[in-house]
Amino acid sequence: MSYLFIESAIPQLLCWKSHSREIDFKNMYFPLPPPPPFIGPGILTRTLLNAGVRVVALESHSAFLPNLQSLENSLDGQLKVIYGDFFRLDPLVTGTVKPPAVCSDKLFELLLHTIETDVPVKIFGILPQKKERNTLWRLLFILYECSSIFRYGRVELNIFISEKEYKVLTAKPGESRAYQALSVLCQVGCEIQLLHMEPWSSFVTNLKNKGLAVSKSMWLPNDHLCLVRLTPQRDLFSEGLKPTNSATFIFMVKQCLAKRKSRLTDRLNSWSLDNSGQLLKALEIPADVETGNLYPEDYKRLFEALQNSSVFTESWFHDEVLESIRNINL
Amino acid sequence: MGRQQEPAAPRQSPAQPSGWVEKLKREMYVRQAKVERKLSIAASKMTLVGQANAKVKVKAVPKAKAKVKVKAVPKAKAKPKAKKSPKETKAAAWSQGHASPRPAGLACSKPGVVEVKQVVKAQKHPNVPEKRESNHQKIMQQTIQSNLECLLCLQQPEEAERLLLLYHSSPMKRKLLTIGAYNIVMRSWARKGCLHRFNRVLSMLESAGLRPNLDSYAAALECMGRGQACTKIIWRCVQQLKQDGFHVDELFQKCLFEGDEKETVLRAIRIVQPDYQLPPAPKPQTCKSALLNGFYSKEKVVSYPKLDFSAQELRERFQQQLEMELNSTITIQSVESTKPLTPQALRARKQLAALRAQWRGAILQALQKAKHNMSQKRAMSGYNSLYPYLCLLPDEEYVDIMMQILNTLSPQGESLSVLARELGSKVYDRYLTQRKLRSRQLEKVQEIYQDYIHLLAKDSQPGEYLPREYWEKLVAEAGYGPSLRLKDCSWPYVLLMRLGVYLLEILVHSVKVPRNTLKPHLESRLIPVLYHIYSFRSSWQVGLIKPHPIFSQLVSDAAETTLTFSSSVMPMLCPPIPWTSPHFGAFVLSDTKLMRYVDGAFQHQQLLDQCPQVNLHPVLDALNQLGNCAWKINQPVLDIIISIFNDKGNEKLDIPPPLSEAPKPPVTPGNSSAWHKSQKHELLLCKKKAAEMHSLRMDALYKLSIANHVRDEVFWFPHNMDFRGRTYPCPPYFNHLGNDVTRAILLFAEGRPLGPKGLDWLKIHLINLTGLKKKNSLQERLDYANEIMEEILDSADRPLTGRKWWMNTDEPWQVLACCMEIAQALRSPDPAAFVSHFPVHQDGSCNGLQHYAALGRDLIGAISVNLMPCSVPQDVYSAVAQQVEEFRKKDAAEGLKIAQVLEGFISRKVVKQTVMTVVYGVTRYGGRLQIEKRLKEIDEFPEEYLWEASHYLVRQVFNGIKEMFSATRDIQHWLTESAKLIAQSGQTVEWVTPMGLPIVQPYYRVRSTVLNSNMQNLSVKSSANTNQKPDTVKQKNAFPPNFIHSLDSTHMMLTALHCFRQGLTFVSVHDCYWTHALTVDVMNQICRQQFVALHSQKILQDLSKFMLKKYCSPSKDSRAPWQKKLTEQLSNVPETGEFNLTKVMDSTYFFS
Repeated sequence: MSYLFIESAIPQLLCWKSHSREIDFKNMYFPLPPPPPFIGPGILTRTLLNAGVRVVALESHSAFLPNLQSLENSLDGQLKVIYGDFFRLDPLVTGTVKPPAVCSDKLFELLLHTIETDVPVKIFGILPQKKERNTLWRLLFILYECSSIFRYGRVELNIFISEKEYKVLTAKPGESRAYQALSVLCQVGCEIQLLHMEPWSSFVTNLKNKGLAVSKSMWLPNDHLCLVRLTPQRDLFSEGLKPTNSATFIFMVKQCLAKRKSRLTDRLNSWSLDNSGQLLKALEIPADVETGNLYPEDYKRLFEALQNSSVFTESWFHDEVLESIRNINL
Repeated sequence: MGRQQEPAAPRQSPAQPSGWVEKLKREMYVRQAKVERKLSIAASKMTLVGQANAKVKVKAVPKAKAKVKVKAVPKAKAKPKAKKSPKETKAAAWSQGHASPRPAGLACSKPGVVEVKQVVKAQKHPNVPEKRESNHQKIMQQTIQSNLECLLCLQQPEEAERLLLLYHSSPMKRKLLTIGAYNIVMRSWARKGCLHRFNRVLSMLESAGLRPNLDSYAAALECMGRGQACTKIIWRCVQQLKQDGFHVDELFQKCLFEGDEKETVLRAIRIVQPDYQLPPAPKPQTCKSALLNGFYSKEKVVSYPKLDFSAQELRERFQQQLEMELNSTITIQSVESTKPLTPQALRARKQLAALRAQWRGAILQALQKAKHNMSQKRAMSGYNSLYPYLCLLPDEEYVDIMMQILNTLSPQGESLSVLARELGSKVYDRYLTQRKLRSRQLEKVQEIYQDYIHLLAKDSQPGEYLPREYWEKLVAEAGYGPSLRLKDCSWPYVLLMRLGVYLLEILVHSVKVPRNTLKPHLESRLIPVLYHIYSFRSSWQVGLIKPHPIFSQLVSDAAETTLTFSSSVMPMLCPPIPWTSPHFGAFVLSDTKLMRYVDGAFQHQQLLDQCPQVNLHPVLDALNQLGNCAWKINQPVLDIIISIFNDKGNEKLDIPPPLSEAPKPPVTPGNSSAWHKSQKHELLLCKKKAAEMHSLRMDALYKLSIANHVRDEVFWFPHNMDFRGRTYPCPPYFNHLGNDVTRAILLFAEGRPLGPKGLDWLKIHLINLTGLKKKNSLQERLDYANEIMEEILDSADRPLTGRKWWMNTDEPWQVLACCMEIAQALRSPDPAAFVSHFPVHQDGSCNGLQHYAALGRDLIGAISVNLMPCSVPQDVYSAVAQQVEEFRKKDAAEGLKIAQVLEGFISRKVVKQTVMTVVYGVTRYGGRLQIEKRLKEIDEFPEEYLWEASHYLVRQVFNGIKEMFSATRDIQHWLTESAKLIAQSGQTVEWVTPMGLPIVQPYYRVRSTVLNSNMQNLSVKSSANTNQKPDTVKQKNAFPPNFIHSLDSTHMMLTALHCFRQGLTFVSVHDCYWTHALTVDVMNQICRQQFVALHSQKILQDLSKFMLKKYCSPSKDSRAPWQKKLTEQLSNVPETGEFNLTKVMDSTYFFS
């Protein structure tokens, strides 16, 4: 299996504290050697290399390239280092893509696919704290559009995210603080598996004020760094939901969940939908349900049912959808 | 709520906890403790700490932004107590809920309440009282009072008393009633003359522990007068009044009366004191400011300039203006060319008319139904009910307002909060107008105005009064006094928004359009015209209301040619009412604030009310003078602009093209979902551009249409100011502060002959407008103008068909207008006698830095901003660029790589923006970004060095400025530091300008209130309460620029007043002064004189003294270390340099 490795962005540097700690990733076991706490990215790269896997490392900060490149030269073929920023993957600009922005097809040329499972590539990385939410949205967008890295199959993402984001991704309807559009879209789109939780106190940083740049969270617990595996659902796309109209689905979910206590029928009616009551009955959704109480799967079913109605073909709806995409991609 | 867990055994690994984690834990526990505290109080009914929020639908949400500035260390140092108390809290909190004792070492036998109280205090700075709750309480108090006022206005004393009783009857809720609330209800009964009911309310007031105030007595006497009470009762009342320490005279000096209230009270008093005479009007006071001694002294007789109208004419204009304001809105013709009506347009108009009629009916029905429902539930409702507000105006007026919003909605939609605010404000404005009419205030204003204009009219007598003085004199003579002013009845901002949201919901739900309006083959189902959608720009969701494309299409097909505005948007047709107090002036009926503020912040109004009114006289006089300047339209230029506007517009000339010129997206076949990303992107860009073009076009349309509407008139712009004293005209769309196009259409209504040097000034002004020859002396500019006279005349004679020299200048339209003026003057028989209406401008060069240099007496700095006389104008930007280049050379010689890379790239352009914004307190971070942008624009500059170069340059620019303006940076630093310490001590920064205007910085930690509605939750930010903590960062960063702005506005006002005294016409656009060509020299002299006078005052010393007195008074606990630090900081006024200020008098290029 090939691993694509993403280094986290500066200024956030994490390193493991001393004494050996064993992280048990499911199906993976990495004994960490007890080195003195060494500062610098590459710790996970080295860990993976030590376990014998082939790694393509994507490093966004030019200052750390030489280190990795010397490592690359010392191994023979097991490690490939690319100067690039995963979080600037496939930017929406015309012309040649200048590093550190990266083009996904060039990237994947370097990876060798294995044909054993239909999960050709596993991605490993730490999401930069400040851009966590944004990155998750971008990943979801490209997942639903089946573009960028997801063009090559159901790429599995193993990412380190903060606990509060994990809580949001796995929130259930009715959890007013956590359940939001992101939750619905992630649960519809992927299988979410928690691999490991590591308390923040295990980390030290080299930031000046000795604190971690971890965002404070008022409503959700945020004491851990969580390793979460996101595997795109095999049956995400169907008759109704296709990569070509997924943007509309995303838009619909976002609009509905902007105010979780609003009634679903009110939303549908305000979009000039005819006989929303009948539609909901056919789907066995209670007529006075609030948007924040509807299950993710029901959103998908609702969307598929609405394909037959005229709502989404209204031009103004379409324009709104287009405009909403713009904000994520630019 | 937090997790329920044992504090002694955290589930984290026992590795050494980092400081941050500790802090987070602490904060979680403190929050938890607070929640527990609230619960325990509710449970045990202890009222020591905090207040129970009774039945509130409006939630107060503290602003919780998840930004972390980990400052664990400094806080711990300053308050070592703080660390311990959370642990005590833990114990206390748990001991309340759990029976089991806590680990040893923590005292937990005391009752929870006391310890919790400690926690609360220890967390905060000692001087900031914990008053978070009372912000909410204050809003509720205001809301209740507004409700009661509505009921008073609706003449429903029964209802008012019921509402009062609802709150009075519960000891908890009673806190929400102020004495004002009781007074209002008493007044309601007083209006009916019902003494019996009046007394009931009076006893309620007394049982609440309050004493009647002066207003209460006024109401009592009114009631007695109207109800024809017997002598004994009145006599007892007057005795009571005296016993409470009041005097009968005070009733007429301090209370505000409406309608016939004053006469009724007088009648009542005369029953027991038949010989009672009204107290004489207070003598007019004279301002004692040192700067204005010469101005206000009555020793020299002065005659102020008159307008070129007779009294009769002015009276007629007043009538016209009044009529316009009474109608609330005005409909004018749009300038868009009358294209021949196509059948399509005719059909669309018919459809639209029919639909609009239907909609009016639907909205009316919905409104009436809603009101009916509300009135059924009235017995239950408290202050939350909007019912009184929906009864203030006739139903049709609400419908009018809602239809107006619908008709002016742009196709791009508008945010819900903006629409709600507009709706709420419109209702409020009409309510105020109605009150003014009912209270007969309008009659009185009319009466006074008829006499007032004698001051301004050319055929009338007095000339030696200032407008304000004369108005006050007339008011005193008529005996109107305080009855010319309405009692303050402003609605809290949150209430305004609630009302607006409610009306908006009715609007959105009632207007529908058949689906097949444009496509008859579809079914005719009704769909909503307005839909609500969230937009997720800028990382937050904004609710928008957008019109359905069917409606937008119909409107654009109909191509209607009229525009409707509210009356206060139009320039005034008569001279404005002079400002005589912070509450009264400008428009006849529309309520105008003297000081603009946002979001319902009323700290400014309070400050203005509390300061001695005589201190405000200079500011009021200056505003009056600016407002009294008469304007007219430059018709030839307007016509040319309109012709281009109606053709294809011209982006280069700043005339927005019509939408037909918008870029068309490429036509791609197939289903939209199959499009490539880049195609979608292009489509989006086209849409974005179209939206921008539309809004620019509409802006210009309004402006030009208004200008066209008044093209044959003379009009005035009343002025008011912002919180720093900078002045602005009130009508927003069209005024002389606008862009090049707007300014070119305006002329002074009054003309003056050019005189011997006027023509020269016109020519110099022309060259100034072109932007050429900025570095040349005045003589050289004059010579240049004479050189290119051919071009000037060609532009004037054949603007669109000739060589069009004027189009390639910085300000093409003003250049054109000036060319035409020069051409006319030259061709007249005697140019010196040619009557010119043209405003000539004199600009300060980098005015902010000029003030800084004067404050600090920086010699080098003063030279570079033209405070020193010099034969050519100095350009501070080039000077700084030169200084930076010197630094660079030195560094490059020493081998610094980045300095070598930058060789040849350091230009004026690169440093200009940064130098400009230094005055505004630009930081290194912001400055670096600016420079990076400039360097990026240079193609030859290597990109890989961008970041490093901009860092280096910003350092050098700041160093350069420090070299040249060393005292300036010191002063800035001193101001910033002082502000920081003041804000950290929990107070806001205040100061008084040398002219006497009190200023307060309104930056508080904003409290968001969440309004729940069916459509969306709206978060309303309001900084309405002085009990909140000041926003330290904003307070400190904004103080230096605000201070300098207040100085430059003082300078402007001083210049204005002295120009007025000498009979000049004078208006200003902040640091750009305008007058007739004839009087430019006089204005220049006065401008310099006043600058020297202003800065000859010990401005910084006075500021330091004021602040020491205010923030470090010995009465406060002066032992605290922060207090000492503040005192030290404030006393430490920076030293000044060697520059001799009087040199400014001879500096030609100071303002040029």
